Amino acid sequence: MIDRPLRGVVVAGIGETGYYKRATAPQGAMGLCVRAVLAACADAGLDPVDVDGFVSYGDDDNEGPDLATAIGARECRWSSVVWGGGGGGVAGALAQAAAAILSGQAEHVVVLRGHAEAAGGRLMSAVSDYYMSAHYRAHGIISPAQLCALRTRRMIDADGVPAVTMRAVAQASYTHAANNPGAVGRDVILDDETYAASRMIAEPYRLYDCSRENDGAAALLVTSAERAAALGADAVHVIAVAQSTPAGWGQTIENEDDYTSGGFRLVAERLWRATGRGPDDVDVTQVYENFTGAAVASLIDHGLATAATAGDVIRLDNLLADGGALPINTAGGNVGEGFVHGIGLALEAVRQVRGTSVNQVPGAELSLLISGPAAPFVSSALLAQAEA
Amino acid sequence: MDLHSAPVIGDIGPRPDGLDVPFWAGLAEGRLLLQRCGACATWIWGPQWVCPRCRTLEPGWDEVPLRGTVYSWTRTWQPFVPSFKEHLPYVTLLIELPDAGGRRILGLLIDDDGTTDPVIGEDVAGVIQPASDVTSGVPVLRWTRGRTATEGDA
Repeated sequence: MIDRPLRGVVVAGIGETGYYKRATAPQGAMGLCVRAVLAACADAGLDPVDVDGFVSYGDDDNEGPDLATAIGARECRWSSVVWGGGGGGVAGALAQAAAAILSGQAEHVVVLRGHAEAAGGRLMSAVSDYYMSAHYRAHGIISPAQLCALRTRRMIDADGVPAVTMRAVAQASYTHAANNPGAVGRDVILDDETYAASRMIAEPYRLYDCSRENDGAAALLVTSAERAAALGADAVHVIAVAQSTPAGWGQTIENEDDYTSGGFRLVAERLWRATGRGPDDVDVTQVYENFTGAAVASLIDHGLATAATAGDVIRLDNLLADGGALPINTAGGNVGEGFVHGIGLALEAVRQVRGTSVNQVPGAELSLLISGPAAPFVSSALLAQAEA
Repeated sequence: MDLHSAPVIGDIGPRPDGLDVPFWAGLAEGRLLLQRCGACATWIWGPQWVCPRCRTLEPGWDEVPLRGTVYSWTRTWQPFVPSFKEHLPYVTLLIELPDAGGRRILGLLIDDDGTTDPVIGEDVAGVIQPASDVTSGVPVLRWTRGRTATEGDA
């Protein structure tokens, strides 16, 4: 879709286990994934025997062939993973599913991510193992929080983005989480004082600027619009996906060009060019906040704000489903709902188009999904009620 | 934290595939060596097997003076690892090297007082911490405020 929209590919079903505090899930990751896949099939009205493809991203080690065997699928015909650590591939996984369907390799492709810490280790460790060579560890750097903190510090000091935008992103996620019975952080009331009093993790990030880590699994069943119609599914069109490692980006030990960005500028350009839509047409956005400052960079990359307007646009009241012009993370996001490398954001992007979110944006027609920022490979997707 | 007590995380040193061996060998000689393409003179960092600009295989290495400016920084408060626990909080700088085409390297600020924030563009000077048990037996490049480093102040 370099210059044209995706046509005929939909998300027909979504399913999840819900989020558990880390290391407390009653099943291992595979057990969680199987439950999420079956729930997505049920939501789509699809007999699981007909699932014939699996896609994941980042560090997921729940492999498609194993999942196919586990659920008793007739035949697995597509199994792939988006390279790149962390959550940069959440939207990109939808592109792989679309590629499988449009090229006739498979018909019913599950996009999923699942994790259980007891057997799988810390989610943070998966990212750290991927990135943190001796050139980081020699200098006290081991956490993704520290890396994103370096980028955010410069975004604030050199680009002039107000630091208070980070608090607004965190508060928007927790405000939305309060209405979501499934949100791990639903009871957190993040007022200005609570935020200011929270402990520093890696400056400029405080505790509430950082995503959680949770056990859980979630899945999206992707198929053709024709198949979805035959199933009677409540289908949401995937009208564009773009993935990117721009030149001067990737594994450079903090030498990325455009260092304070999330890495999405070419991704965003391609989404808009392919669909003829623009940032002003987006009704609701799910933006991956591994850390709030990185999410602010992502919003700027997509043209939803600029460094100059960020202080006005990225304000709490403007980020809320209830009346905001730029509603984000309406299920609570990675910081408020729960975190399994951002897969929950993809489900919420679908719910908003269906009209079934706990914080529904009235009349939402165009839904933007932004994957993990500052990853070597980043991606975004546009979901809509109708084909572009 | 001072020049001799600054720790590292885990085992550090050359990659198993050998790509960055000259970097670590340079530190052992008291020098900062970064990759520089012998054909087109482009500074390259992190290390690569081929010059991304002119595709010359096995770009060479060149010495870089131990001076730079602060490109960004973070002060870490969270005890992510045991080796740094008694040194919290500590500042890690991202340092721009004007003598290496503006390439950037990470480095620990060893004269951080815990409260004086670094400023983007501020001058910093490098000093090499000798190999010891706290550095997993490998010399490490550290940084101090100002244009020149003196180990005694560090």
